[in-house]
Amino acid sequence: MAAYMSMGEAHRRINEYLNRFSDAVSYQDGKSLSRLLSISSDSATLLSLADALNTFQSCYSGILTVVLCKHVMLFIYVEIFICFADANRVISQSDKYSQYGDILVPIFRAVRSYRLRNLVESYLAFEKASNAFIQEFRNWDSAWALEALYVVAYEIRILAERADVELASIGKNPEKLKGAGSFLMKVFGVLAGKGPKRVGALYVTCQLFKIYFKLGTVHLCRSVIRSIETARIFDFEEFPVRDKVTYMYYTGRLEVYNENFPAADHKLSYALTHCTERKEANIRMILKYLIPVKLSIGILPKTSLLEKYNLNEYSDVILALKRGDLRLLRHALNEHEDRFLRSGVYLVLEKLELQVYQRLVKKIYIIQKLKDPNKAHQIKLDVIVKALQWLEMDMDVDEVECIMSILIYKNLVKGYFAHKSKVAVLSKQDPFPKLNGKPVNS
Amino acid sequence: MVFYCQPVTVNGSIPEGYWKHGSSVLQNDLPNTVQPHIQKTPDVIPMYANFQNQHNSTFSQGSMEMYPASYQVSQSHQSSSQTVPQPPEHFDSRKACKLQIPTNPRIASILPLGSQKSDKESSMTSAVVKPAYISVGVPTPNAKVASHDEADSMLKPGTFPKSLRGYVERVLARCRDDRQKAASQEIMKEVITKATADGTLYTRDWDTEPLFPMPDINAANKDHSELPIPTLEMPKNRRSPGRRGKSRWEPIPHEKLIEKSANFTNDTAKYGGWNKQFAGGKSDNKGSLGTKSSLPDQKSSSKIFGRPAKRQRLGNDLNAADDGEASSDSDKAHSLTKYYSAAIALADSPEEKKRRDSRSKRFDKGHGIQIENSNLRAKAVGPGNSYARRASVLVLSRSFEESGTRAVEDIDWDALTVKGTCQEIEKRYLRLTSAPDPATVRPEEVLEKALLMVQNSQKNYLFKCDQLKSIRQDLTVQHIRNELTVKVYETHARLAIEVGDLSECNQCQSQLQTLYAEGIKGCHMEFAAYNLLCVILHSNNHRDLLSAMSRLSADAKKDKAVKHALSVRTAVTAGNYVMFFRLYKTAPNLNTFLMDLYVEKMRYAAVKCMSRSYRPTVPVSYLSQILGFTSASPKSEAIDEKEIEGVEECMEWLKAHGACVTSDNSGEMLLDTKASVPSLYMPEPEDAVSHGDASLAVNDFLTRSLA
Repeated sequence: MAAYMSMGEAHRRINEYLNRFSDAVSYQDGKSLSRLLSISSDSATLLSLADALNTFQSCYSGILTVVLCKHVMLFIYVEIFICFADANRVISQSDKYSQYGDILVPIFRAVRSYRLRNLVESYLAFEKASNAFIQEFRNWDSAWALEALYVVAYEIRILAERADVELASIGKNPEKLKGAGSFLMKVFGVLAGKGPKRVGALYVTCQLFKIYFKLGTVHLCRSVIRSIETARIFDFEEFPVRDKVTYMYYTGRLEVYNENFPAADHKLSYALTHCTERKEANIRMILKYLIPVKLSIGILPKTSLLEKYNLNEYSDVILALKRGDLRLLRHALNEHEDRFLRSGVYLVLEKLELQVYQRLVKKIYIIQKLKDPNKAHQIKLDVIVKALQWLEMDMDVDEVECIMSILIYKNLVKGYFAHKSKVAVLSKQDPFPKLNGKPVNS
Repeated sequence: MVFYCQPVTVNGSIPEGYWKHGSSVLQNDLPNTVQPHIQKTPDVIPMYANFQNQHNSTFSQGSMEMYPASYQVSQSHQSSSQTVPQPPEHFDSRKACKLQIPTNPRIASILPLGSQKSDKESSMTSAVVKPAYISVGVPTPNAKVASHDEADSMLKPGTFPKSLRGYVERVLARCRDDRQKAASQEIMKEVITKATADGTLYTRDWDTEPLFPMPDINAANKDHSELPIPTLEMPKNRRSPGRRGKSRWEPIPHEKLIEKSANFTNDTAKYGGWNKQFAGGKSDNKGSLGTKSSLPDQKSSSKIFGRPAKRQRLGNDLNAADDGEASSDSDKAHSLTKYYSAAIALADSPEEKKRRDSRSKRFDKGHGIQIENSNLRAKAVGPGNSYARRASVLVLSRSFEESGTRAVEDIDWDALTVKGTCQEIEKRYLRLTSAPDPATVRPEEVLEKALLMVQNSQKNYLFKCDQLKSIRQDLTVQHIRNELTVKVYETHARLAIEVGDLSECNQCQSQLQTLYAEGIKGCHMEFAAYNLLCVILHSNNHRDLLSAMSRLSADAKKDKAVKHALSVRTAVTAGNYVMFFRLYKTAPNLNTFLMDLYVEKMRYAAVKCMSRSYRPTVPVSYLSQILGFTSASPKSEAIDEKEIEGVEECMEWLKAHGACVTSDNSGEMLLDTKASVPSLYMPEPEDAVSHGDASLAVNDFLTRSLA
């Protein structure tokens, strides 16, 4: 907390903030306005404002009590303060502030609470301010304040997340993020219309995705996606690139959950190609999902890519695919189980097992071909069982037979299985079809 | 001196909320006052004598200010801050709070705080009693009378805690008529004043603040005896005052600022409001009254106010009846729903009106009924009377609810925690719709016996399910959450798994999860395994599965049952039927029962897969062994009867699914894979019903009602 600050100084700072706010609005300067609203940014202006408010609060709490005792319903302290500080000015400029009082007064409270690390209080005040802001925003014809709206959408999510942490720590139900979600839905409604403001809709959508993914309520994404992708007012190319990348990243992740690999590949690849190279962390996040997707459609990444973006958890998986080493695959999955489960790619990676089996059978086939090209297309089940035993995979004949049957059924191996003689008979032409960007038949 | 902008009424319709004012009742009947005129009511209504005495000095005609220029700004400020447009029911509240703005511009300009203070003082008094603005009615021929309530704009956001506002609303909402409302307002005033004085106004949790007992109406009546009580004589504009149309959680409709402020400028309504700007504003402008009105705008503004009133009515059938006629000649722009018009038609018939009146009168007897009920309860002491007692509780709570117009969600269930006294072990389940009666609730020790009874019972599942549900209910209403609770839910979940009642099983599972999370001991692992199996086999949602898996602790993964469930998951996702049926045979606990529900799907997928990959044939004996029809592997030389039965069952199954079965020279049955590929199909489940829920089938229903 700042050292003692004189009342005059406090007045000056608060007035300065008010002036900046009203200037930003009257000059339609979205950038300045957004700076004034981003309360979690800990910017110098806001910190000093918070201290000023605190100074004021401590000085005038006495007066407040007196006022209360006289049964006078008060303005909140800020307004009293304004009267004290500069009565004439306030009266002459009352229009200027009173119109935005509903934004400013709770903003002050939010700033102060944030500084005092009272995050729930701060969130509540900020939500109130945001509501008032949205009301004003609705009335502004041009989209000059979009940037400020972005900040509001961002701040409300961040504050809600932190408020939830605070609530959880005192054993209360953390529900603020959910509330922020429904608030942002409202914001989305404000933007979803004709006119220049619609380009902001995708940013809000992305904030909503972040909330839904965090809360684990991804099914709620569907309605927003539907309106983004089907509503005629939206032209996807019109949105800012950064929002498009984020949007594609999240929808791509959703497709990973649905195991719709071609769609996931398309979306994540879009995100990857449009993401600026400087944002390495973002590229890494995209690759975290894109690599498993690519693997499951038979495309392996270069080792250098994994190294560059520190995605070494995948290196064993890829090695296993190359070698047909089932043991290595299972080991890699086991080792990073928690990580893969959390990111949601575990099931995708697990499905790679069939490709590993395919690789193993192909290796046997190649060895047989070296020995005797005429008999190479007949692979005895015993041979496969033995190969698996070398890998310390304890599987009996029935189980291996089942796996061969699945491989043939899913078109990873062309041919048929003869039960009587326990032999897999491979097609002479292209017995191991490549996936070539298509997912395994399911 | 008080101004009234007398709402001007057209076609004999009467401004809502206005007719109740004692002083203006007569004026209401003035028909067709076409020109908007401001009527000065000479006598000040002495509603808040103290308040007015205090400010009499500042009360002059000259000080009543209109703010043509600065007004709009201040108004937009205020109305934007007011996010809750008042439902029209609150009209009657204004009778109790004709608040005027006391402003002395001289003082105001010199002493900003001082004037604010007096402003605040007035608002303090008035806000407590929900003051109202009175807007001017509009002389458009077919527009409905504009009436408007700005009561809550007094509660400037930031001045009162929001929860207090909710509290005030709750209090007002339970008032049945004006007298109660007025009396409640008096009490509320005291409560809030007191809270302000001792500084608890902001610290107190108004949301949980208990409502004070309903004041004695008769006492209140003395004070307001001059007020006419709404009766049947005025059916046209009668409005049951205290009733809310909807719960207070209804979405808040947003009115646009522009519309609002435009309306106010046009109406140049006398503003009973309190605003910061008023203090510093100009003080003349009396002459500008009514000069700014322009007809088209007024028309539109009247529509704006017509709307919420209508919406309210839709939700309130009682009111709909009374408003029927009023609305039938209202503006046709609003299309009425079918239901609504039907309601009007009904309401217009005299019999219906009579019926409704008698019905609403019945509510007036709320207090009487309560006494009756307590008598009833006193009588009904013996066992066997529990149902009657229960019914009385129902009636009691209903009459309470209706008289108080408390929505069901308003009832504080926690406060209704009871300590049961019922000693009967068996009890049928009945969904609670009211406060539980301790006499019908069994205490913990009886519930333990009841659980034992169910566990040892030989009766069918429906009986047990019913009993367990009633046990669960009794536990819930008594807030018992301990090992007994866990046992009850576990017992129920197991029974449900055994009979394949997945929905009941899921309910128990989710309860168990929270109970285990609270650290209450039980068969945690067993149910973690069931949960996993349920997700894998029956919901097939990858996300759910992932979260269920990531929730498992390292210890859980070592548990036998959980391990088994995880292996089942692997088998299912890989489509490994051999592994699946091996696990099926070695399943611990009740895992088999859950897997049972998936066996059909797995077998079908397996045969489909095999018929594509195997050539030319697969022996049926092998299939029956792989697909779990025969229990043991066919190593044993002597083929016992069970084996043969299994193979036969497998044959039946294959035939039922359209497989092509042939026999070779030695008589061994073989699946002709190539021929089977196109002919395989999944038959409709035999117990399927058209509505998709087998438990609703007629036969089932009959057994249920017999049980």
